[in-house]
Amino acid sequence: MTEPPQTADPTPAPDPPAPGAAPAADGPAPQTPAAVRRRAVLAGAAVSALLILAIVFGSRLLRDFDSALLPYAVATVFLAFGVAYRYTVWVSAPGARRLFRQGWRSFFSAANFRRAPTALPKMIATYLGLQKFLGARSHARWAAHQLLFWGCVLAALITFPLTWGWFTFTSGSGDGPGYEMRIWGFKVLGFNALNIIGWLMFHGLDIAAVLVISGASYFLWRRMKDRGAITGQRFAYDLIPLIALVVVSVTGLLLTFSSIFLHGGGYEFLAVLHMVSVVFTLIYIPFGKFFHIVQRPAAVGMQLFKYTSRDKDADGELKTCRRCHEPIDTAAYVENLRGTMKDLKLDFDEWAEYCPRCKRVLRGNAYLTHVKKGFQ
Amino acid sequence: MMGRTIFIDPGRCIGCQACVSACRECDSHRGKSMIHLDYPDEGHTVASLPTVCMHCEDPVAPCAEVCPADAILVTADGVVQQADTTRCIGCANCVNACPFGVPKIDLQAKLQMKCNLCYDRTAYGLAPMCATVCPTGALFYGTLDELRAERPGVQVADSFTFGDVVVHTGVAMVVPADKVRWPVPGGLPVVEINGVDVR
Repeated sequence: MTEPPQTADPTPAPDPPAPGAAPAADGPAPQTPAAVRRRAVLAGAAVSALLILAIVFGSRLLRDFDSALLPYAVATVFLAFGVAYRYTVWVSAPGARRLFRQGWRSFFSAANFRRAPTALPKMIATYLGLQKFLGARSHARWAAHQLLFWGCVLAALITFPLTWGWFTFTSGSGDGPGYEMRIWGFKVLGFNALNIIGWLMFHGLDIAAVLVISGASYFLWRRMKDRGAITGQRFAYDLIPLIALVVVSVTGLLLTFSSIFLHGGGYEFLAVLHMVSVVFTLIYIPFGKFFHIVQRPAAVGMQLFKYTSRDKDADGELKTCRRCHEPIDTAAYVENLRGTMKDLKLDFDEWAEYCPRCKRVLRGNAYLTHVKKGFQ
Repeated sequence: MMGRTIFIDPGRCIGCQACVSACRECDSHRGKSMIHLDYPDEGHTVASLPTVCMHCEDPVAPCAEVCPADAILVTADGVVQQADTTRCIGCANCVNACPFGVPKIDLQAKLQMKCNLCYDRTAYGLAPMCATVCPTGALFYGTLDELRAERPGVQVADSFTFGDVVVHTGVAMVVPADKVRWPVPGGLPVVEINGVDVR
């Protein structure tokens, strides 16, 4: 690149901030990476310890704990540590931290409960459950993601409590067909294993596997055919999660196949294969694409913040562009963004009060006036 | 600055919108144009300014820095990618923090989109769609040496001032050799009368 000509009058570099300078308004003190890591390790250890206690007490001091499921339970403890660690590191970054706080502030504000008590449940249902925003991106992706999502939710609701010894299925007669489902030792349901309820109870994971395989297959196909999806895709980030879901689901289905059609042939090998695939997938969750499962619910806080600040602004007005007066966003949101930019030493935060088009036009005008007067 | 990049010369732009149309053909955001073509002093001059993502290098991608979801990836070759569809939450932080006014947002889809230097093409050594179709060379893709081979003595700038802040970019602008200002003014500071920017 060309060097600046000696005759030019270079803009002086901004002065370094004075030692001990106050952080941006409402901004937390800067954190060192070591401090963040320390806090993340503590959070991870605390959550893991809580989960272990929940497993011990939830399984009635391990009386209901199925030792055959021990590797799964250990994997969930690692998962809890990883998720808490990564989550803590994530919400320590300036952008996430400010929106995280604003989300909770909006949630606990009396105004929110009074004016919009249904806002949060609605957002959870439409944003996290139905994922309507995915429909706006592509109907096919929405449908496939719904299959994947509900399959994973169903599987998690069944397997996690089973693994932890929270659910038990017992038969008074020893071999059925009458079964009792107990949660933490309390009977919640009695059913006949040979009727439709019993079939659904014992094949819940097979149903989940079919849903997951359908959804994941679509996304795998798309990753191989759609040129937009292929652009910049990474094997470890984009393909491994889908392959892992398919492997977990297929090996799970093979267990049922073995017990029904092979009279248990190869069951032990398949059980180990399934266990290994599940354990690796669980441990991978905090580190790759699956982290969006944890991250996405946090975005509800951002939606709530925007929603409540817009509501508060109903009497006033939205923040408008300082040049063309087109609305930018709520005043609280723009203030929050400016704070984030100050935290990050992006000292052109004043620019956030201009709409994108005016930024470009003003830059064009500056070029026209100061750089190349004849550029028309 | 990256080796091969886009050089923007607003003086050559005739506002024909060929780049805008070609951008829609990019596989990574098919049907949606990510390039901006503005007419800074409309009604008084025919000047037009094409704006692609400048792929900020220092500070590294302000859009990615303010992203609360870690959705914007900067690849090893310095290309600031558009938001990861899995992570983007549609908060618009990037849209409003970008000093060049580049990212777009689809609020229904809760998804940011922006110029990614036609990564599906440039990753394989092809020129981006906009530079491929530009009839006047206002958008040139290549190395500085290649640009100078075609336009001897041309000067380019890859830093822009916003108030006191200098932003160094991966994409550069052509500046006149005899009137070069260093860095190029980015539009700030503000000229206000009664709280309104009158520029």
